[in-house]
Order: sequence, then structure tokens, then C-alpha cells
Amino acid sequence: MNIQNLSLQYDDMDAPVLQNVTFSLGEKECVLLLGASGSGKSTLSRCLTGIYPKELEGMMEGEVTFEGMPVNEASPGTMSRRVGTVFQDPETQFCMLTVEDEVAFGLENICVPSEKMEKRVETALEEVGLLHRKKAAVISLSGGEKQKLALACILAMEPPVIVLDEPTANLDPVATDEFIALLSSLKELKNITIFVIEHDLDPWIDITDRVLMLGRNGSLFYDGPLQQGVDRYARDLYEEGIAVPGAVRMAMETGTATPPYPLTARGLAAGLSAPLKAVSGRENGPALIQASGISYKSIFSNVDITISEGSFTAIAGPNGSGKTTLSRLLAGIDPVSSGRLTRPFPDKDWFQHAGYVFQNPEHQFLTDSVWEELAYSGAGDEKIEELLEWCGLTDRKDFHPFTLSQGEKRRLSVATMLVKDQEILFLDEPTFGQDAKSTSRLMDLLKEKHRAGTTIVMITHDMDLVDRYATGVVVMKDRKIGFTGNPDELWNEDLVAFQLKEPFRVRTNRLIKGDMYVPQ
Amino acid sequence: MKNWKLKEIVVMSVLSVVFAVVYLAFLPVGKVLTGFFGPIGYDFIFGIWFIVSIIAAYIIRKPGAAFLSETIAATVEVLLGNAAGPMLLISGMIQGLGAESAFAMTGYRRYNLGTLMFSGMMAAVFSFVWGYFQSGYAALAGGYVLLMFVTRLISGAILAGVAGKALSDALAKTGVLSGFALGKEKRKKHAA
Amino acid sequence: MYLNNLNPSVKALTILGLVVALALLFDPVTPALFTLVTIAVTFLFGDFRRKYYLFYLIPFTIFAVGMLWTTIAFADAPKNPSETVGLIWWEVPREDVLVAVSLSFRVLAFATMSLLFIFTTNMVEFLLSLMQQLRLPPKLAYGIMAGYRFLPMLTTEFRQIRAAHRVRGMGQESRWKRYRRFAVPLLAGAIRKAERTAVAMESKGFTGTRERTFYRNIRVRKKDWLFPAGMGAIFLLLILLSLRFDYFSWYQGQL
Ligand SMILES: Nc1ncnc2c1ncn2[C@@H]1O[C@H](COP(=O)(O)OP(=O)(O)OP(=O)(O)O)[C@@H](O)[C@H]1O
Ligand SMILES: Nc1ncnc2c1ncn2[C@@H]1O[C@H](COP(=O)(O)OP(=O)(O)OP(=O)(O)O)[C@@H](O)[C@H]1O
Ligand SMILES: [Mg+2]
Ligand SMILES: [Mg+2]
Repeated sequence: MNIQNLSLQYDDMDAPVLQNVTFSLGEKECVLLLGASGSGKSTLSRCLTGIYPKELEGMMEGEVTFEGMPVNEASPGTMSRRVGTVFQDPETQFCMLTVEDEVAFGLENICVPSEKMEKRVETALEEVGLLHRKKAAVISLSGGEKQKLALACILAMEPPVIVLDEPTANLDPVATDEFIALLSSLKELKNITIFVIEHDLDPWIDITDRVLMLGRNGSLFYDGPLQQGVDRYARDLYEEGIAVPGAVRMAMETGTATPPYPLTARGLAAGLSAPLKAVSGRENGPALIQASGISYKSIFSNVDITISEGSFTAIAGPNGSGKTTLSRLLAGIDPVSSGRLTRPFPDKDWFQHAGYVFQNPEHQFLTDSVWEELAYSGAGDEKIEELLEWCGLTDRKDFHPFTLSQGEKRRLSVATMLVKDQEILFLDEPTFGQDAKSTSRLMDLLKEKHRAGTTIVMITHDMDLVDRYATGVVVMKDRKIGFTGNPDELWNEDLVAFQLKEPFRVRTNRLIKGDMYVPQ
Repeated sequence: MKNWKLKEIVVMSVLSVVFAVVYLAFLPVGKVLTGFFGPIGYDFIFGIWFIVSIIAAYIIRKPGAAFLSETIAATVEVLLGNAAGPMLLISGMIQGLGAESAFAMTGYRRYNLGTLMFSGMMAAVFSFVWGYFQSGYAALAGGYVLLMFVTRLISGAILAGVAGKALSDALAKTGVLSGFALGKEKRKKHAA
Repeated sequence: MYLNNLNPSVKALTILGLVVALALLFDPVTPALFTLVTIAVTFLFGDFRRKYYLFYLIPFTIFAVGMLWTTIAFADAPKNPSETVGLIWWEVPREDVLVAVSLSFRVLAFATMSLLFIFTTNMVEFLLSLMQQLRLPPKLAYGIMAGYRFLPMLTTEFRQIRAAHRVRGMGQESRWKRYRRFAVPLLAGAIRKAERTAVAMESKGFTGTRERTFYRNIRVRKKDWLFPAGMGAIFLLLILLSLRFDYFSWYQGQL
């Protein structure tokens, strides 16, 4: 597959999103596209699959060819046999009601004879491990299962190229690893070409053959093996919003950094003598929100939990374990069915004191433009400017929130909650879909607020964040509280049971000390 | 169906589904009004039941939009359980045809407020004629029937035409319609 | 069960036909009997959650009864006011009562028939059958299917937006503006999702042409014709009855 100096500009934007991007995809290659949020990755992926220019409101130059044949000249429907896409948003890529119908849909489109279909549907479901859910309704699937189903639909059609746009953004760590393991085995099995868009590249390191780095200006500035790329650009990558592998980050922080940088924990450990230190100050204040024996619908039954004042509490756990539900109950968005829940402020002006950031950013938006969103939260003009600057949306201030990129939406939805200085802040996966830079800026801001005395409750799948910022952790499992305590204690628990992975620092330390691990 | 884009069809059916729910929600309101004013009660708010035609046609601007959307809405309403049952399908189709006819008369070219109100009124006319035979307004006093007719006309023009346009324009402002006829028109205006 | 396996298109057309036929008649007895027959058939040959059926039937009955009152109350001058019947506390012309009763049972008959369909038909199979038997364009059929998926989402979306309002704190603004803040995000969200869904469908090779195979082939078998035949027969029987005990009359648009 060949992409020849591709440029693209949306109608209602003054600068092009992509500027003569040129690269090629070889057979059974796994290529990783890195780039800041909003740099045009999803846009690029849409060009590969021939959605653009067909669906584009704007202008596109350059040429995308598949085996020498221009994509946009391909007759409708044929492209889908060559390039399969798993889109960024798993909610909206299904059109049927049940799992089997959904997978079959693709096959029907390419006129697979009815009698052959059953077989192919089942093999596809088998491969992604969803066979037991064959008859299930699509809505009933959890976030992770939806991702797998989306993949199954593509696999069934057996295209030589698969494009995945942030396929693991909402998956828990173990599910992510499983997903990637699945991909790499399929890659060997069917020798397919895989094109992945991701922000957090750590779990992908093993299966990537090549990385592309997309700059904020929308042009590729690197195309080649990961190692060299990191070695050459390590310092600029942060500015470009590209996450360097955890090992490299650590290496640079500890100052033992000279190219070639280590890419994995093992590599890093080799170069280290002393174990990496945990952040200090993980003591918690008196109880602020107290829940005893609360139940909600069929999802929860008598859960006890305490959020202590001035704490930075992380909520982690597998997909579908009830994190969102719990936080919504604590924040008083959904009423508890039974049990006692005590909050420090009266209900009527509760939301003057508490802020909540929904898991789906689009749920936060009520107005017609980025500017209005912030104004609606009661920010003054200069405050708005400041926030826009902070979430890098200054030039988008008149856009409707819905037209932003996934990550941009995320930042805006968080920003709307940072306007007022609430005493308590709930955030449901605030960093998913974020590039390295905006993540760290977001976390710094939260840390700042936390120092200033705000109590923060944050749901996340990112154990490194937990390790670096949280003063307390609540781990959900099967819609119950599986663990409460501080992170350092958690790392000694059986993490796999919680579908979690130990953070990078801990993994490294373990490798340094051989296999027995002593918490500092 | 040939010159329809898939996304236009999906959006149309989504609109229909949403408004099918709205339609159902307004039935009791009508019931209450009839309780007070008699059969004319429905006519005050009758325009509501045309609104999806106007919105769909105004946004998508393809022949059939008004008719199909109203028909789908009616079908969904029946599936959700509307006491009128299968008869509602027919009423829905006829209302849709009414709205459609207005746009057909303008050759599917003009989509200003006037046209939309006119379309709402045509829907009212069609549905009234149908009602005249089907639910037998014949049995009512002539003056009363005339009053009902006028009320429904106005209701159609205001609740379907004006309100429908207002809502669609509000939607267009959000930019989610950039891929549809209405959104494109707005952008042209913006550029100019 | 027979009704559940019945070809959806055949089922739908039969019911539509019966409804239209029934709409032409006007007497209290025929629709009443037909209602009973329909319910009987539904319960005998249908497989569904009985509880829910009653759930639906009750409001319909209330609706019908309500109709009874309004029609009596707003009936125009009767031809022969002399004949009256005593309802609980007031005297009303016999004729008006008959009209009212007939109308109410009509409604019930219609209602029960659509219930028969709703409770024994799978939406997807219905659409598939519409495509395979009645040549409905796939583009339209699958477009509708995709739209139909939004139905269950609507309530959650609505609750979600209400929650957002609470969290963000309602601004001091006019009522109209506040409704708008509900309606617009709801619709805007729905449209965005719809658009994405459409793109996803096309990227799975959906072009909307008729050249496509089907995972589930819906056919019309011989036994499918039993339903229209049977229901038709019953209907004729009822008409014969009405003629025999001459209460038969055409519908002249009573209200
Ligand atoms: N349909 C559209 N119309 C107008 N502008 C758009 C559209 N889609 C995306 N954009 C803009 O183009 C830019 C690139 O969007 P894109 O979704 O490709 O970013 P991305 O790299 O995928 O970001 P993320 O990592 O957050 O998903 C964004 O600034 C976004 O605001
Ligand atoms: N309103 C609801 N009614 C019934 N079940 C629900 C409802 N909301 C969520 N669930 C179910 O409850 C479980 C917990 O959902 P929740 O969204 O809290 O999980 P989560 O931990 O946030 O998952 P993720 O990490 O994917 O966000 C899921 O299995 C979900 O299907
Ligand atoms: Mg993206
Ligand atoms: Mg969640």
C-alpha cells in the first residue's frame, strides 16, 4: 500500500490537517502511527480506507494506492475487502442487534454464500474469543468485548490490511495485552498487514516493525524502527505529544540516559543499580464521603467505601467491574437504591462543591461552541482564554464540541470542570485518548489542585499514573470492592486477579532485585 | 433510493425513531385536550405529528424524505404500542404524502420558512381529508368541522413548519449537519 | 410456536388486510368477537411473556373506555332521541351508546391485532423478510435497522444529559432555551452517531445494492398461508353471523 504526498484540509479550518504525508505499508508489516492528539491520525486512517475523499467536507490532494491501484477509483465496496478498519469509537460501528448478525453483515455485503457463512462467523468469533457470546445482544457487551467484536467483524472478511484507531483506549491493562497478543498471533497466522494508531506504545513494542511519527503540523517527521526514532528524537517527542516508552522516560528522569535508550523494563533494569523511588506523601485525611452498604439496581449490592478528605483516590479494575457506576453513585449523579451515603454538603448546592467528568466526553457538552462550553461553566473571558490555551483549543474556540478530535473533546470536557474551584473532583478516565504531553499537563494540574486541598477521585486504567499521583487506590472486581489502601500496598497484591499490571517503576525494580520484590 | 447516501438514510431513520417517541408522548396531551374541547382538542397540537417530515426534508432535501420519515416514525410508533395500531401506518403515510406534496410542488428546490409552513399545512389537509372519512367527521356539525380544519392548518404551519425549522437550524449550528444539504447551505451563507 | 415462526411479511400483510376490512364494518358485535378471537389466537399460537402482554393491553383498554365516554359526551343530535338507555347516572340515547361501544371495540380490535404482531415478531427478521419477500431496498432496510438500534439508547442518553445539566448547574435562562439545551444535544448526538454508524457500515463493504447474500434466509412456506386463510375464514364467519342476526352495517363515519 502506498501513500503519495497526501494533503488534507477540512472546510471549516484554515490550516491543513495533513501536509504531504508519504509512506508505504509492506506486506505482513505492523506499523505504529504516533502523533499528538489532534494531529490528524484518525483523519489519515480514513484516507487509507477510502472513506475520504468520498465522505470528506474539505479538500484532499495526493494519492493513496493499493497494489498500485488508486483507492478512490476502486468501485464502492471493493476497498472493504482489502482494508478493514476498527474505529476509534466502539459504540457506533455496529448496525445489527446481535453479535452473530453483526459479523455476518460484512460477509453478506461481499456476497459470501449463505451456507459458508455460519462457518466463517464462528471462526472469526473463535479467534477473538467471543464464540460464547455468539447470540448475545451487541448492547449487552462491555467496552472490551465491543472492541473484540469490531475486530472479529473485520477478520471474518479476511482483508490483507487492518487499520486500528486507538483500539485499546478504554481497555483494562490485561485486556489490552490480550488484545495485542491476539493481533500478533493473527499476524503470524494470516500474514496480514496491521496499521495501528496508539498513544501508549509500551504494550505494542514487541509486535511493531516500524513507527511513523506525525508532527503537530500534520507532516511525518520520522519513518523507521522505533529504537532509532526514540534515540534521535527523544527530547522533541514530548513537545510533539508522543509518548516515549516508559523505560526511556524513566531513563531520562533518572539521568542515566544516553542513546541507545532502553525500550523495555528489562533493558532499563540492566542499566540501573538502585531501585526507583516511589513518590512520597501517601497519607490520607479524615473521611469526606462515606458510603455504607449502598446498592444500585442489579449492579451493586451493599458496598462500603470511604473517600478521605484531601486524598487523591484512584479507582481501578477490569472493564465492566463497576467503576463508573460507583463513582456516579458517590458523586450523587445516580441515586443509591439502598444504603447510607453521607456527603459533606447539602444536596441542593452539592454540585457547587463537586465536579464530575463523564467517561464519554460528549456527555459533558451542552452548548454550541467550545467557548460557550467554558462560559457556561461560569468562567470570565480571560479565564476562558487561559483554559483554551491550557487545552490547546484556542484556534478551535468557535467550533462545536462534537467536531473536535477524541482527545480534544476529552480535554475540553475536563476543562469545563476546572473553571470553578470545587472541593471535590470526580474524573472518569480523564486521560484516555490523550497524548503524552496533554496527559502530563492534565496530571500536573490535578496535582496542583490536590496540593491546594481539592479531593480528587479518578478512574483510570493507567497504573503508572496511579503509582505517580494517587494517595489511595480502590480496586473494583466483579462489581465489588476488591482492594482499598495505598498504591504501594496494592503492588504487593495479586494484580492479575484484578486484571491489572504493575506500573513500570515496580516492574523495573523487580527486575533489578531479581524476582523477589521489597517495597521501599 | 439510488441517489440517497447511506448516512442520509440512517440519520433519517434515527430522527424518525426519536420523534416516534415524541409522538407517543403527545398522545395523552391530545387526549386531555379532547377531554376539554371535544374532537377539536387534537387539532390544536396536530402539527406536532407532522414535524419529522419537515425536519427530515429540510435537512436532507431529497425526494421522499418527508414521506419516508413520517412512515418510519408511524411504524416505530406501532411497534412501541400505539392503540391506533395498523391504522396509524396508513395515517402516517398519508400525512407524509401531504408534507411531501408541498416540497414536490416547489420542485424540491425552495426550503424557506414559507415552504416549510406550506408543507405543514398540506400535511394537515391530507390528514384532515383522511380523518374526514376514516374517523368520520362527517357526523359532526359543518361549522365545527370547518373550525377543526382551520385549527389544524394553523397548527400544522406553526408546530410543524416554524418549530421544525427552528429546531433544524439549532441543530445546524452545532455543525453536526455539515455533511448534509442544510449544513452545506449554511456554510455557503457563512462563507459569503 | 406457529406465530413466531410465521413469515413476518405474510403476517403483517394479513393483519393490515384484516384491519382495513374491519374498518369498513360498523357494529358493536363483530369487532368485539374479533378482539376475543385475536387474543385467543395470540395466546394459543404465540410464544411470549404473558405478563407483558397484559401490561400493554390494559392501557389500550383504558384508552378504549375513555373513548367510550368522549364519544357519548360529544355525539351530535341523535336521529331518534326517544330511545334511551340508563347508564349509571344519566340517560343517553341508545344509538349513541351503540356507536360509542362499536368505536371502542374497533379500537380494541386494532390494538389486539398489532399486539399479535408486536409480541410474536422479531424486528430483524421482519426487516429481512421485507427485503427478501417484498423487495424493500437493502439500503433503506439496513438504514432503518441501524436507526432502530438507537431506540434503547435514547433513554440512557436522556438520563445522561439530565445528569450533565445537574453537574454543570443550570444557567439562569428562559424555559425555551432550557428545553433547547435538552433537545439539541440529544439530537446532535444521535445524528453524529448515526453518521459514524453509516461510515462504519460502508467500510464493511455495504453498498446498498441488491446483490447480497443473507445469513438468515426468510422463506414463505406452505404452512405460512394457514394464517391468512384461517383468519380470513373466521372474519367471513363473523360477517355471516352479523348478516344472519342482521346487525350488519357498513361504516358511515360515525364518531
Ligand atoms: N469532520 C471534521 N470536520 C472538521 N474538523 C475535523 C473533523 N474531524 C476532525 N477534525 C479536526 O481535525 C483535527 C484532526 O482530527 P483527528 O481526529 O484526525 O485527530 P487525531 O490525531 O485522531 O486526534 P486523537 O488522537 O485525539 O484522536 C482535529 O483538530 C479535529 O478538530
Ligand atoms: N444502567 C445500567 N443498567 C444495567 N446494567 C448496567 C447499567 N450501567 C452499567 N451496567 C453494567 O454494569 C457493569 C458496570 O458498568 P460500568 O460502566 O460501571 O463498568 P466500568 O468499570 O466503568 O467499565 P469500563 O472500565 O469499561 O468503563 C457493566 O457490566 C455494565 O454492563
Ligand atoms: Mg483519533
Ligand atoms: Mg467506566
